[in-house]
Amino acid sequence: MAEGKNLYETVIVTSAKLGEEGSAALVERFKALIAEHGTVQSVDDWGKRRFAYPINKQTEGYYTLINFESGPEFTAELDRRYQIADGIVRTLIVKRDPRHIVERKPQKAQKPEESGDIDVEAIAVEAVEAAGEAQKAE
Amino acid sequence: MPDRPEREVRRGRKGRKKVCSFCVDRAEFIDYKDVAKLRRFISERGKILPRRVTGTCAYHQRALTVAIKRARHLALLPYTSD
Repeated sequence: MAEGKNLYETVIVTSAKLGEEGSAALVERFKALIAEHGTVQSVDDWGKRRFAYPINKQTEGYYTLINFESGPEFTAELDRRYQIADGIVRTLIVKRDPRHIVERKPQKAQKPEESGDIDVEAIAVEAVEAAGEAQKAE
Repeated sequence: MPDRPEREVRRGRKGRKKVCSFCVDRAEFIDYKDVAKLRRFISERGKILPRRVTGTCAYHQRALTVAIKRARHLALLPYTSD
């Protein structure tokens, strides 16, 4: 923070018309651009996905997630480049909260073990109370 | 003097207290990429379900709304569907 660096993540959705290679090449160009202005931390290729709704009469596209670190002024430039580039359907740039990073790493298979003893107790108490009330009601 | 017996019946009905699922999971943020989880909080038509239906707390409902809207932008979730 002191040196004005932030963590960001960006999702690039490229047109399925480009094909696998064309899409990869386009993403590669943006990876290079990000590397110029900051550091690329990780790249997650989601592959081809169907859209939830048609975009420009297309039904699928290639999704790529890039985690990177850069100064805050770079996001505007990156967004500008996204607008100019052909073959990009959708993009998203989101700032990541460093406090959430540890939890974020295992994306899908995360299992919070410490599911909260206090919570369980509270729920149990509530359940007992609810049961008592229900009995009274009857 | 209008009598409202239905009201009385409603008040006395037994209902289970809904608990915010994000609070239970100790979720600090809600990921727009977790489509499977977000799907549980939208209706069949693609609308965001209200708190009174899902039992989500106000804090997490706000975060959830943002996550769903981000996912919609990326076409991970529909804006509308029938």
